[in-house]
Amino acid sequence: MTGARNVEYKDYYQTLGVAKTASEDEIKKAYRKLVRKYHPDVSKEADAQHKTQELNEAYGVLGDAEKRAAYDELGRGHQYRAGQEFRPPPDWGRGFGNGGNGGAGAGGFGGDAMGSDFFADLFANLGGGGRRRQAPPRRGEDSHASITIDLADSYHGATRNISLTVAERDAQDRIVTRERNLSVNIPKGVTAGQQLRLSGQGQPGAAGPGDLYLEIQFRPNARYRIDGRDVYETVPVAPWELALGGEIDVATPSGKVTVTVPAASQTGRKLRLRGRGIPGKDTGDLYLLLEVVLPPATSDKARELYQTMALELAFNPRAGG
Amino acid sequence: MGQAILNPVLVDEAALTVEELAQACAVEPDWVVQRVRTGILLDCADGDYVAWRFTSADLVRARRLCQVERDFDANDDVAALVVDLSEEIRRLRGKLNAAGVK
Repeated sequence: MTGARNVEYKDYYQTLGVAKTASEDEIKKAYRKLVRKYHPDVSKEADAQHKTQELNEAYGVLGDAEKRAAYDELGRGHQYRAGQEFRPPPDWGRGFGNGGNGGAGAGGFGGDAMGSDFFADLFANLGGGGRRRQAPPRRGEDSHASITIDLADSYHGATRNISLTVAERDAQDRIVTRERNLSVNIPKGVTAGQQLRLSGQGQPGAAGPGDLYLEIQFRPNARYRIDGRDVYETVPVAPWELALGGEIDVATPSGKVTVTVPAASQTGRKLRLRGRGIPGKDTGDLYLLLEVVLPPATSDKARELYQTMALELAFNPRAGG
Repeated sequence: MGQAILNPVLVDEAALTVEELAQACAVEPDWVVQRVRTGILLDCADGDYVAWRFTSADLVRARRLCQVERDFDANDDVAALVVDLSEEIRRLRGKLNAAGVK
């Protein structure tokens, strides 16, 4: 429940790099500069996504006069530092907002289902969300989050759990936050970027709850690369399998398959398995990328074999180069 | 107690109406209609908006448009240009990734 737990204090002024006395324009200017700098499409920073979320959260408060006033009141008389343990006073925020924005819920935590605990606890009792809305809500806001799955989940379908911080009304009609765990069926054939819609799992509201949208993301796997519904799989092969050709067994996302490697193949050769990509109306293809792996020359026998090849094959890969 | 397993709907199989897209973006339906009429959302949409349907990609695009318009007080054309460029960057990065280029 709100106020029942300690969370880390966040210094939103520090996040935006502005003084506590900064004007509305200065705050907006600082936010725009930083949000451009850390935009995931242009930033090379590893934590650009996280940084952007922090900036949005900070601007969601400092860019809204009412929320900024409430936030400032919180710091008055206290010297909270960023990261310091913090618990909002039980009666804090009473003088601000309307306690629920017409029953639309405590907001979308910056439009997404997941926001920081600090933000959620702090603004659970104030009207509106972390960002200003462009229109009054008719029912609870829709929430947005992402869910990361393995490629195999898309091939076969799966059930996955997600954890969200959500706002809801308690018995006294106060809006409180809690962690909510959901088990979700992942339909077979989903691809990255597709959206799953969960009816009634969004923010609470007087005219019923909103929906929850989950964006599909694939967990990175060095073995696979994905382009739409086509999948590229790197397959390690021995030099003699490439040179002599023959059948090899390969574990693919849809199960083990036996493929024929043509004789005289080179590393990098691509074998196409039609219709073995991500399933769907336009099922993709699976491309096996053959990659030679040399046996280590760590034993006398291995060294002897390499020496024999060196002497008898008269092979110079740089000849003519 | 066992947790109930939820069955989501894939947006591309039950595409969104104008009202549903507006709700998902926290805007008025008119915001969506205007951007379709000016060609910013949906490639080809004629006639009555009741028949328009929006996919996952449209939802992602609409949310990005909202964010750019709000964050930078951008007009709809400028926001569309930013989002077009952003989508192109993502598409090219996807190609590079598929080609094994880091």
